[in-house]
Parts: sequence; structure tokens; C-alpha cells
Amino acid sequence: MSQASLPSVDIQSVIYLNDPSEIVRGAEFSANSARFARSEGLLGDWRLVLGDCSPEPVLSADDQQAIRDHVEKAGGVLSYRHFGKNLGSAAGHNALAEGGDSRLIVILNPDALMAFDTLSSLLGAMDENVGIVESRQIPVEHPKDFEEATGDTSWASTACALTSRKVFDEVGGFDSETFFLYCDDVDYSWRLRIAGYRVRFEPAARLFHDKRLTSSADWPASSAEVYYSAEAALLLAHKYSRDDLVESLLAQLDLDRDSGVIRAVAEYRRRVATNTTPAQIDADHSVAEFVNGNYAVHRF
Amino acid sequence: MTDTTDAQPAVSESSLLLFLDNLARRDGANSEFVAALDTAREVLLSELDSSGPFLTVLMRTQGRRLEPFKDALLCLAAQSSTDFEIILLAHGAEADDLVELRHAVDNQVESFRSRISIVEVEGGGRATPLNRGLSLARGRYVAVFDDDDVLFANWVEEFLIASEVGHGKLLRSIAATQNAAPETWPQGELGFRTSTWPNAAYAKSFDQLDHLDVNHSPFMSVAFPRYLFSSLGLTFDEQLDVCEDWDVILQGSLTLGVHSIDALTCIYRRWEGGSSSYTSHSREQWMRSEKRVIDRLDNAPQLLPVGQIARIRDRRVYITNNNDEAARQLHEIHISKSFRLVQRIRHILARPRQIVAGAKRRIKAL
Repeated sequence: MSQASLPSVDIQSVIYLNDPSEIVRGAEFSANSARFARSEGLLGDWRLVLGDCSPEPVLSADDQQAIRDHVEKAGGVLSYRHFGKNLGSAAGHNALAEGGDSRLIVILNPDALMAFDTLSSLLGAMDENVGIVESRQIPVEHPKDFEEATGDTSWASTACALTSRKVFDEVGGFDSETFFLYCDDVDYSWRLRIAGYRVRFEPAARLFHDKRLTSSADWPASSAEVYYSAEAALLLAHKYSRDDLVESLLAQLDLDRDSGVIRAVAEYRRRVATNTTPAQIDADHSVAEFVNGNYAVHRF
Repeated sequence: MTDTTDAQPAVSESSLLLFLDNLARRDGANSEFVAALDTAREVLLSELDSSGPFLTVLMRTQGRRLEPFKDALLCLAAQSSTDFEIILLAHGAEADDLVELRHAVDNQVESFRSRISIVEVEGGGRATPLNRGLSLARGRYVAVFDDDDVLFANWVEEFLIASEVGHGKLLRSIAATQNAAPETWPQGELGFRTSTWPNAAYAKSFDQLDHLDVNHSPFMSVAFPRYLFSSLGLTFDEQLDVCEDWDVILQGSLTLGVHSIDALTCIYRRWEGGSSSYTSHSREQWMRSEKRVIDRLDNAPQLLPVGQIARIRDRRVYITNNNDEAARQLHEIHISKSFRLVQRIRHILARPRQIVAGAKRRIKAL
């Protein structure tokens, strides 16, 4: 197969005040994964596309050169863009996708590390019926359930996921008006499923996402995580026509004294009052899954 | 981070060095003897400051579980500290599996691949490849990380930080467990599925006395100063079918002491329905190995960490008191009215059974 007929890929990451050495290291691992996919005859042209939302560019000229060296050695091209403002994850990725023309897009956390065969496994799982394919994160695996034979799952985390540009454009990318940081991927996955595409989990596509647990093996939630996940939970329930759930969530969150939760509830009520909540979809609840506070059945 | 012994200085020496110092500080100690102790001390400390990487990671694999192995490699590649080398010990791997192992290693990023050596080992038991790895190790510390477990990014870094404080001791971090079962993945790989959230099932800090009962420390949660092997002559016991980890943890901890690290750094995968050392070895092999580990310790004098004598006394007093209390409660039960009443009823109820049993014996005798 000629290089031109092979799928082209843009690997997109949105940066916000990350340690530059993390970005350089991540680029080294992504480039290695692209190199391997090319050697396997699975990948044509590819770019590493970085969008920087930090107030000042975090990558020095030397950092950019180090990244460029990794990327070009693997036959790719580097694109680094400083947005000059904090767009958030959803709008940042939309802006990066707007400037590209690759057949496929990888949405990748800038601090996550691909294995050598991650991209190959993602590409192997993609076909015209698949909207998005998600990697398996380690050391802390996501507890979402998935079908053993097909990998089909409720939604795909965009810590590292492959989607096609055609379907990305078809559904209008991420809903950046509604989601700033969290649940933009849940919403994107569910809109893909409404449009008739499959959402797949590909366990062979491993990704190291540097998450750590407390000494008691608990998840140490950051204040940003508390705020954005509470806000996103309300907005997601509203958008997917679960007014009953919004009511019960509000009743539950109103009892919470965490300042992040209080701010999230206030922001949701402000949106309702100013009529800036998203339009409701999935009226017959055919796609959205709200299970015990999660957006999928969890296996643990 | 916390030390397992009380009243320790900020930088705490190993049990062996403390023991040597105590001998040397005694009034009237022979000066030649003290000089010899000082020399011994210098020999040991010089290895802690030797060149070479901070850590040597010994990774055993038989090449049969490629997907967990790839996870394990990625965990090592993702470490926040890169001051380590890896000796990959392919133990009895089939030719096809060896090709897959080499393929996975050859395709790592260059900055990581250059720190991996592959060593083929044939024959022997679980300890054999470890001794081969030790003979090649250059690190100031040595850790064993098997091919089916998981590390957080701070695994090496936490050992490195702790080595500055727990000078020359074993370093021990917190491990979690997570259940996993073999499963074929959508593209046909022999994969697995995790089925539980990581559980901090092991003790948070090292307790010497508890470890004499049973091992509370998965192998990869411990880093051993290499001088334990190179200068003090410890080896992995190749006569053991299992428990080779418990054996060196006990011998090492009783010689050098342990510095506990208050950070979760690794996950021990518990395989459901697959093979592991628990399923591949018989109960007799486990019992025989346990006995050998304890017999060896009992056949030589041992150093206990500071504070353990009082703890042993406390335990003995607790057990004695509990035994006295148990005896008192048993006596009270025996002399109680209810027990005596029930005893009479029991005697009456037993009569028909005795009659039937007697009849059966008589019939058999006919």
C-alpha cells in the first residue's frame, strides 16, 4: 500500500502550564508509537499538533527543537500554537482540529505516554462504523465495563482516543459551550452513538497516565476535579433530557458543603436563569447512561 | 516517610552498622577490634556511594504473558526518575516467546531501551534467574519487579528519596492488590480484565515481627542495598520452590533494618483463573519452603531492630494474660448452672446413639 493511501493522523494535545519536560517526553513516546505504526504499514503522514493555553508559551525554542527532533525522526511534522488564553480542553481541541486535514485525529493528554504499539492498536480497531476508539490507561484503569468480543462501551475517555475527522466534523466536535474540562468526552461519545457510530475500548492500546493514589488507595480528587465534575454532571443530565436526575442531583449537591460543589451548583443555576443551558437531546434515553453517579456500568 | 523503629535520628543507619557502632563504643573495647570494625563499616558504606545507577531492576519473565509484560515495560519507561537499569531475565522462554519479548524491548523509546539488558536463563527455579541478575547488577540498590505487575510513576523516585534517609537499609513502600482474570481482547491478544479497584491490602509500614509470621511485602515493594548481596554474601535460595521473596526480605531486614515509605507505588495483580506461583505450586511445596526459610533464621543468631525486645515482651504478656483470661472464662462456663443442665441433657440425648452404635457392633460381630 502506498504511503498516500494509508490513513493520516494528527495527534492533538492541549497544554496548560505543563512542565515542558513532560511535553518533550510525551512527544518522544508519541513519535515512537507513530514510527512503529508506520513500520507496520498502518500509518501514512502524521503530525504532532500542540495547542498551548498557558498565559505564556511553556515550550522554549530548545524544547520545541527537542520535540521536533523526535517527531521528524519518526517521519512526522510538529505544529505548536500558542492560543494566548485558556480555552479549556474542549475548545482547545476544536481549534486544533479546525486547522487540520488528516483522516484521523488522536486526542491525547499532554502528560500521557503511549506504548510503542498504542497507535497501531487504535488504528487496528478503527473502521467506518466506529466513531471513537479509546486506549486503556495504566496504572489506574478506568472501571468502565466493555464488551469482551467487540470492546463496545458507553463512552470513550479522551486521555488518548482515536476518532475520524469525518465524524468529528459531522457531530460538530466537542461541545465547548457546555463543557470546559470534564465530560466533554462523555458527551462527544454519546453524540457519536446517537449518530449511529460505535464507541470502542481497545485494551491492547495501553497508555501510561500518571495518576497516583493515596496510601490507602483512594483517588485524591483535586479542587478543579470536584468543581468541574459536579458542574458537568448537572449539565450532562440536563442535556440528555434527564430532568428527574437534575432534580435529584441538585437536592443531593445542595447538602454538600464543599466550596467547589457550591460554586458548581451556583454556576448551573446561573445558566438556567440566563437560559444558557444546552439544548436537550436523546429524549427517549436511547444512549445516555446514568448509573450510580457514573456514565456507564462500571465493573468495579 | 516513617521509620519502623522509634527514637531514630533523621538519617538512620542500618541495623548492622548500628550494631557494629555499639560494639565499638563500649568502654574498654580492644583498639584493634575497633579498628577492624571501622574498616568493615567503611567497606559497607563505600558500596552505597559507588558509581553506577541508583537502582537495578531485576525483571523475571517466562515470556508467556506478553500483554501484562508490555504493561510492565511501559510502567518502567514512565518512571519519573530514570536513574535505573533493567536486567530482563528471560527464564526458560520458548523461542517464539523470546522473539516477542525482544520485539517489545527493541521497539521501546531509545532513552529507555538503552537501559535494558536481556539475559536468557535456562534451568533452575524461581531464584535462579535472580542470582544471575545479581551477578550483573550495577545499581546501589536492587529491586525485583515481575512481568505481570504494575508500577506507579513514583516507584523509583520514592526509593531514591528514601535512600537518603534510610541509609543502607531495605526500603519498603506500600503496595496495593488488584484482581485480574485472563481474557481474549477484541483484536485477538491473550489479554486480561481487571475486576477490582486497587486495594491497599498490605500493611502500610514494615513490621519485623509480623513478617516472621507471613510476608506482608510483595517483592516489588522492597529495594535492597546491593551490598547485602555483594559484600554480605546473601543470595536468593535456589533450593526454595517458592517464598524466595520472603526469604531475602526476612534475612535482609534482620541484618539491615527497613525504612518504610508512606507512599503507594505499586500494584500486585492477583490472577483469577490464570496461573501464578499460588496455583503452580502445591501446598506441600509452600509448607516445605516456609519451613526452610524459618529454619535458616533459627539456625543463626539474628539482629532485631531497635524497640523489638520490648514489643516481644508486650506480646508475650498479652498472650499470657489472654490465656489466663481464657482459662478463667472456660472454668466459669464449666461451673455455670446452664452448662451443668445442658450437660445432663446432652448425656440423656447421647444414650440412644450409644444404644444404636452398640447394636450395630453386635450385628457386625454375628
